Amino acid sequence: MTDISMHLNTDEIELWAQGLLPAARAMHLADCSLCRVEAQRERKVILELVQLPKYAPSAGFADRVMAQVKIPTPSGDWQV
Amino acid sequence: MFSLLYRMVRDRALAEDLAQETFIKVLNGIKSYKPEFKFSSWIFKIANNAAIDHLRRKSIDTLSLDGAPGAETPDQVRATSLQLGDRAESPLDEVQSRELGTAIERAIARLRPEYRSCILLRHVEGYSYEEIADTLDLPLGTVKTYIHRARNELRGYLDDRRE
Repeated sequence: MTDISMHLNTDEIELWAQGLLPAARAMHLADCSLCRVEAQRERKVILELVQLPKYAPSAGFADRVMAQVKIPTPSGDWQV
Repeated sequence: MFSLLYRMVRDRALAEDLAQETFIKVLNGIKSYKPEFKFSSWIFKIANNAAIDHLRRKSIDTLSLDGAPGAETPDQVRATSLQLGDRAESPLDEVQSRELGTAIERAIARLRPEYRSCILLRHVEGYSYEEIADTLDLPLGTVKTYIHRARNELRGYLDDRRE
């Protein structure tokens, strides 16, 4: 059992930033300004990271890839 | 997968080349796929290896915005600095500057490639620590260390920006 007065470790801070830390441990943040500041800084970075956009290759990318893939023919040969 | 490659090499055209190389390897080597791995992890593994190989070949361990790691004099720093956002020469350059020019993207670019892969898989792709360890062939403890260090470095870069 973890003592509520113990500082949060890095795994627990990540869980808190994601809203997944059990309430019993999260209560430590109410009393510990050191952990609170650390956790809030960590949450800011994680939020910036999870909000990063996904990028896609340019149009025609799939066609360019498939043009170079070897496809087996019914006779067992490979065609490009 | 394209996003990972793009953020690893920070060049759209090159990222497309590496993505193409990855998919061709995947499709031509499908018989070597081991079903005990997640299919997406296998693709990310091949893509990440392609990016890391490229960065090693080019000897740019860190795509520093502040000059190459070995740059010592102000002239060396200036000559090896990445210039984002200014002197955009083509529409593609402009797209890249817009896409990768934000503070967080610039901070990610400063990370070591190994840290960059781990942090992107964790927080952009949503992989668990265990999946990252499998994907990158790294011990679980190493993955945790890399991610914690990467987040610390990112916080430092972002705090510098705010000060």
